[in-house]
Order: sequence, then C-alpha cells, then structure tokens
Amino acid sequence: MKKLILITLMLATPAAIAEHLDLDQLLRDVKRSQGTEARINRVREAEFLAEKNKQQQLLHEAQVELNQQQQLSQQLKSHLDANEQELMELEAKLKNRSGELGELFGVARQAAGDLKADLTNSIISAQFPGRLEQLDKIANSKALPTIEQLEKLWFTLQQEMTESAKVVSFDTKIQTASGEPRQAKVVRIGSFNALADGKYLRYLSETGKLSELARQPEDKYLDLAENLLTAKQGPVPVGIDPTRGVILSMLIQTPNTTERIDQGGIIGYIILFLGAFGLVYAIVRLVMLTLTWRKMQNQVGSDQISEDNPLGRVIAAGEQAGSEDNETLELLLDEAITREVPALEKGQSMIKLLAAVAPLLGLLGTVTGMISTFQSISLFGTGDPKLMASGISQALVTTMLGLCVAIPLLFLHSLVASRSRMLVQILDEQSAGIVSRRAGK
Amino acid sequence: MDIITTQLDLIQRFLHAGGSVLWFILLVSVGLWCLIIERLLFFRFSYPQLREHWLGLWRQRSDKRSQHARHIRTGIISEAQITMSKNIAVIKMLVSICPLMGLLGTVTGMIHVFDVMAVTGSGNARAMADGVSQATIPTMAGMVIAIAGLYFSKLIEERVSDETHHLSDLLQNH
Repeated sequence: MKKLILITLMLATPAAIAEHLDLDQLLRDVKRSQGTEARINRVREAEFLAEKNKQQQLLHEAQVELNQQQQLSQQLKSHLDANEQELMELEAKLKNRSGELGELFGVARQAAGDLKADLTNSIISAQFPGRLEQLDKIANSKALPTIEQLEKLWFTLQQEMTESAKVVSFDTKIQTASGEPRQAKVVRIGSFNALADGKYLRYLSETGKLSELARQPEDKYLDLAENLLTAKQGPVPVGIDPTRGVILSMLIQTPNTTERIDQGGIIGYIILFLGAFGLVYAIVRLVMLTLTWRKMQNQVGSDQISEDNPLGRVIAAGEQAGSEDNETLELLLDEAITREVPALEKGQSMIKLLAAVAPLLGLLGTVTGMISTFQSISLFGTGDPKLMASGISQALVTTMLGLCVAIPLLFLHSLVASRSRMLVQILDEQSAGIVSRRAGK
Repeated sequence: MDIITTQLDLIQRFLHAGGSVLWFILLVSVGLWCLIIERLLFFRFSYPQLREHWLGLWRQRSDKRSQHARHIRTGIISEAQITMSKNIAVIKMLVSICPLMGLLGTVTGMIHVFDVMAVTGSGNARAMADGVSQATIPTMAGMVIAIAGLYFSKLIEERVSDETHHLSDLLQNH
C-alpha cells in the first residue's frame, strides 16, 4: 500500500497541486458506490432466492412428467411385445398354411427353367416359336406365378411330350446350306430330326431356325428320307439320329475326300503322282500289247507276212534263212525272238517297282506323321487328342494312299505280265511250228 | 424263305460293319473263287478230253525219235502247260492282294476312329467301336480269303506240275 501510495504520489507530483481536491471527491465516490453495490447485491440475492424456489418447483414438475412418460413407455412396450407375439403367431400360421404351396411354386419355377433349357435345343421349337418367352417369365419372376402361367407351363410340357411322339409336316422358312432363307415343307420326326426335300436339317437354337446340313449323310439314308416325304401311309424306314443332332454335326466335321488327301501332306501327293503315272503307263502298255496281240492273230490267220508285228518279223527272219539247215534256222529264229522279247516285256519292272514303292512311301509318311505327333506330345503332353490329330491323320492317310496305289498297280502288273508272257509264248510256239513245217517238207 | 432273308440281313450287317473296303474284298473274293472253281472244274471235266486229244496227236505220229518229233513233243507239252496254268497268275495275284486290302481296311478304320476321337475326345469308347470294327473286320476277311485262296492256288499249281509230268511220261512211253 505504501508502495502504491508512493507511486501514486510520484505520478501525481507534476499535477499534485491542481488535483489534491479531487482525492477527497474520489474517496466520497468510492464510499457511495460501495453502498450502491451492497444494495444491488442484496437485490440480486433476493432474486436468486426467488429463482431457486421456482427451480425447485420446475424440478418437481419435471419429475412428475418423467414418471408419466415412463409409465407410458412401459405401456407401449408391453403393447409392442404383444403385437410381436401376435405377428409371430400369424407368421407361423401363414407358414403352416402355405408351406406346401411355396414348395410347389419353387418346383414350378425350376420346372420352367429346366423346360426352357430343353426347349431351347429342341427341334420342336422350330414348329412352335414363342414358347420360350412364356417360360422365361415364370422362371425369372420373383412373384408367385399366376394360375394362367401355371397352366401354360403344363400345356408346354404336355405339348413337348405329345409332339415328340409325332411325325408331322409343316411349312416354314428354312436356311439353305449357303445361308439364304426359303420356304419349304419340313417333315419333323419326333424331337430327333427334321427333313426338307430329302435333306437333313439341323436346328439352330440361337436363331430358332432350321438350316440345311452343309454335308448330308450317305445316299442310302437320303433315299430313305425321300421315301418318307412322299409316303402317304404305312410304316416307312428312315434314318434318324437319336443323339438329337450330335452325329449329324459330326458328319459336317469329318473331312471329305479332297481334305482327306490334303492331310497326307507332300508325301501323299508324291504317292498319288507316282500312282497316276504308273496307272497311265500300265494302261498304255496294256493297250499296246492288246494291239500287238490282235496283229499277231491276224498274222497267224494270213499267209501274207507283214513286218508290223513281232510274229511277222520272226517269220520273216525264218523265211530269210532260205535253205539253211534246221539248226541254223532254229538259231536264227531264237535270235529273232530274243530281239522281240524286250519290247514285249518293256515296262513290267517299272510297274512292279511303282507298286512296291507306293507302300514304302506310305510307310515313310507314317513315320514322319508319327514324328510330328511325338513332337506335339513333347510340347503339349497327351492331354488333348486334337493336337495330335494332324500327325496321326498324316500317318494313316499316307499308308492308305500307298495301299490304294499299290493294289491297282499290282493288279495291272499281273495283267500286263500275263499278256506279254502269252505273246512270247505264241512267238515260241509259232517258231517251233515254222521249224517243224520246214523239217516236214 | 425266312432263313434266307435273315441270312441276307446278317450278311448285309456284316458288310456294313466292315465299311466300304469290305465290298472290294467281297468283289476280290468272288473273282478269286470263280477262278479257283473254274480251274477245279477244268481239271475235273475238260482236262481228260484234252489229254486224250494230245495223246492222240502223238500216237498218230510214226516218227517219234527224230529231232523234229522232239520239237513237236515239246510243243504239245508247252501247250498243255499253258492251258493248264491259265489264270493261275491272276489267282496268285488276287491272293496276294487280299491281305493288302485288309490292311487298307485297317487304316481306313483307324482314320475313322481318330475322326471320332477328334470330335468326342478319347473318353467315349463306344463311339470309337464303329471305327474299330471297320478296322478289324476287313483285316480278318482279307486274311481268311487269302489263306483259303493260298491253299487252293497251291493245290492247283501242284496239280499242274503233276499233270505236266504225267503227260510228258505218257508221251515218252508211247
């Protein structure tokens, strides 16, 4: 306080004279304001006290309110419990009552799904388009199916069953093998096959259309199909594919003759070339031998000696001998025959060689084919037979071609050989005859 | 009648199971047996007359010792030999073709099997059975025909050789 006063004094020093009267005033002011504050405090106190009483009352009221609300809550909770209990009872009742029906609807939905899958690939769908959409609705809807839908499902099932036992004909648009659409009378045999104009059709499930097979079965089955189309009554034999198109689709995949020959590769072509060459050569030889034989027959019949055939030349050689003795004549004739024989036997060894080489080339093709097969096995393993197929088909096709070439060539060789032997024999006989005639003179 | 149709049906089924090669084998076997039967009938009926004819030719001759006579004799024997061994070359050729045709059938059958394998995979043995029967039946048929044909062709060859010897004996003695 002393310090404070000191500081106050020091501060006041410059103005001490002017303001010393104000200090008393300040004192009085302080005193007065102390009194005012005390009064205000009293008023506040009174206010607080009053307020306190009011709060107490409010608290009381709130507590009353709380009690009321709690009671209400209790009431509502018991109500809720009761409701839940009732709901559970009702649900149990519902489940009890609709239990079997729910299963039934599930089965109906599943049946519709299964039937749809069947009908998608069924050839009968070509005759009755638009069946799938109905089934789609039943199979995919979450709601319970209607009576109408259920009846439709039943009808479709029954229809499929009944129609699969029938052979019927109907007009529809089909696709030709080249892909153009055309109107045709189609005969459907149960759910197995459909035929139009004596050709087998297949059912394209993507478009729901029938399409002609690019490659048809053997003629004898196609003839049966023709018979079926023209038949009016009575049992008719016909070829059906009980696998519903699997065998017919395999038929398309099997290669035809040219594709088959292509599988033989370069060795196959070599074999075929040799075979063609041998065939032509053998036939030419055969024709020439036949012509020679005919000329020789003429020569045997006539007295005129013509030089255009071996027999004529041999006889001419005999005539030239003139009055030589028999032994010289025999030698001359032998010589003449020896000259003729190579021309008659020409080409035989060539044909025989080709007939022997063809199976050997086939064997070569087999070995190269097996080599490529084993290469693909070492690369891909034995899991997929399709990867090995090209090597194996090369192996088999070359063997087949080799045999196909060798068998006719052997046959032709035998013909050529027997014919030329016959001609040589005739020469021998006739020369002996000439000698005898001379000796008989 | 019924039995005949049943048998025909069986034959047809057999031919069908063997594939197209079996038809060629059938053709070859029919040709082979025709030739064999022709030869057997020839030896049974025609040959005795022909032999008498040749013997007669020889008997008519007064001169049987000269060189000329020897030529005639050789001519007769050679003619007889040619007449007897006619078609034997064809028979032998057909016999040798039969196993080749069987082999061809095996190969085409195996091609069929591999076709089926390419489509269905190697799991389906039943689908391959058709090709296997196409492979085995022609082989068997070719073998059976070749063995039977071989026996008869040897038989005929023996007969030709025997008859030639016999004939030359007869010509010598007279």
